[in-house]
Amino acid sequence: MKAITILVTVTILILGGSVACLAALDYVGIVKTIAGEVVIVRNAQTIKAEANTKLLKGDLVRTGPNGKVGLIFEDDTVVSMGSNSKIMIEQFLFQPAEKKLSFIARIFQGTASFLSGQLAKLAPNLVYIETPQATIGMRGTHLLVKVD
Amino acid sequence: MNYGLRRVLPFFALILICGCAAKTMVVLVPDPDGKTGRISVSNQAGSVAIESPNQATTVSSGKPPTPPVAMEKETIAALFSEALSIQPKRPVHFILYFEKDTALTPDSLKQIADIIAAIRERASTDISVVGHTDSVGSREYNMNLSRNRAASVRDILVKQGVDANSITTTSHGKENPLVPTEDNVSEPRNRRVEVVVR
Repeated sequence: MKAITILVTVTILILGGSVACLAALDYVGIVKTIAGEVVIVRNAQTIKAEANTKLLKGDLVRTGPNGKVGLIFEDDTVVSMGSNSKIMIEQFLFQPAEKKLSFIARIFQGTASFLSGQLAKLAPNLVYIETPQATIGMRGTHLLVKVD
Repeated sequence: MNYGLRRVLPFFALILICGCAAKTMVVLVPDPDGKTGRISVSNQAGSVAIESPNQATTVSSGKPPTPPVAMEKETIAALFSEALSIQPKRPVHFILYFEKDTALTPDSLKQIADIIAAIRERASTDISVVGHTDSVGSREYNMNLSRNRAASVRDILVKQGVDANSITTTSHGKENPLVPTEDNVSEPRNRRVEVVVR
């Protein structure tokens, strides 16, 4: 009986913990379209990306030699990447009611298309794409970037 | 200029622009609606603004961005075909209005079919339902009301066969009006639920 009580308590604690975790990990977007090999590096772990995989702040999205992927963010920003490309979601805040607005993506290599969403309209000075050579200020609406 | 040369030139331009060293190339292009926005490209050495479609700048490490140059559409297509071929459709937004409490207006009820169609068309599993109110009443009252409005729209969609796990509901109370008003103003355009289908 005692063992069962402990088991139940532990289960409740674990379940409670994981629910709290999920709530804390607010997602910032999803993988919408995908072809070939695409992975997400999150907390030093590599996850295979699939359609509808949720994206978190801090995720690094990497496409293989025959991979390409399309992402949709919560503010309607649409990002798509060609092969051998690497982009990190450094910052993403979209809470218009609290005026918390910010989007910083870092492209390390490859090709990408950025179609701006509501963030670029609401906070045109707070949407940036960082590359190894420059900072791109995104005031809308569609740009292409290539980093060699 | 003869046709052959015209075809080859963009690729020479490409080679000149790309070179071999570490570089960033940025091109401003028209969006799917045909509109062109504005970008700035900068580093410690300088800054360049681009405001016209199909203009590109290139940046090498430590050097200022080059002045914008026109880029042929064929060159753009060749360089970015992969990324452009996988670019998802832009999300679509709907606004549903309420007569009072959680009763949708007749026009908004008719829009439910369009929402269902957009969900099917995109095979969407990421649908936001965001509730809002006008400014009549307390902050807390309106928080509750906007939550109930979002929940009622979610229930309608679920009844039409949408997976409840695909729907995220949030509520903004009276904090995020479509039409800004003074406090305690009845404004039908602010009594709404916004639905985003991604």
